[in-house]
Amino acid sequence: MSDSNEHKLDPQKWVERYGDYLFSYALGRVNDSGKAEDLVQETFLAGLKARDRFRGASTERTWLISILKRKIIDTYRKKYSSKESAFGSHEETVFDGDFYRSEEPFRGHWLEGTGPNSHSLLPEGELEQEELMKYINLCIENLPAPLAAAFIMRMIDEEDSVTICKELSITPSNLWVMLHRARLRMRECLENKWLS
Amino acid sequence: MAKGPGYRMMVFMSKRMISCDEASFLVSLREERKLNFRRWWQLKMHLLTCHLCRKYAKQIGELNYSMEVYRDGCSHESCSHQLSPDAGSRIDKELNRELNAK
Repeated sequence: MSDSNEHKLDPQKWVERYGDYLFSYALGRVNDSGKAEDLVQETFLAGLKARDRFRGASTERTWLISILKRKIIDTYRKKYSSKESAFGSHEETVFDGDFYRSEEPFRGHWLEGTGPNSHSLLPEGELEQEELMKYINLCIENLPAPLAAAFIMRMIDEEDSVTICKELSITPSNLWVMLHRARLRMRECLENKWLS
Repeated sequence: MAKGPGYRMMVFMSKRMISCDEASFLVSLREERKLNFRRWWQLKMHLLTCHLCRKYAKQIGELNYSMEVYRDGCSHESCSHQLSPDAGSRIDKELNRELNAK
């Protein structure tokens, strides 16, 4: 059987066959083409090393994507741990001084300009749809690294909260607050950058 | 005066009205898990009275929807990116070197 497994993996053709696909996948998650290229290369090399473990249960492409996914999670984790001290206990509380008023009796109300102004974020036509995708990319890039990591894993990779918490070494309540903060910023960014 | 169910409801409602920061947090939290009754009710009451948070809740729904489009979009042609020829041949070279080293 090992022969037929060897047969299914064809590293000579990887770049040609899956290069663009893996690159697009990575670029949608790391927003830096140099880094995305590095990830593609690392994925292929890791795939080469691990090819004995390819069981042929999935397609070559799915298998490579699963390797790439791990690599991407690793980069989030590195980003996250390097910035951790800068965020610390902020992730525990719902209150966020960038968005809500802190003086009584208005504590917790929207700060002027940070609450929603416009009616809808959704685009009307095909062209605007593509435009919106570009701005989503840009806004993710503007998120603080830990928030971006949580948001991408949750919203793009569709990982469940148990996995995300394990990968980022946080509690579920940390995660919920982080996702909230990420959504606050994404919404504001899209409204200000895209709709204006 | 007898304290009927209406009165009790009023007390229950006013016991703890939440502000916009908590309401917007709950808008996000309900995407992650089912809210318990108390929180569900607090959010409901807040949204009933606060037009900004109603708008916020609507837009967060739109954001979630857009993220779905974004996620799915990158598997079809219009949003796909191409590895530059330079990067492609560089990676190819690395890969081949590794292959031949075996």
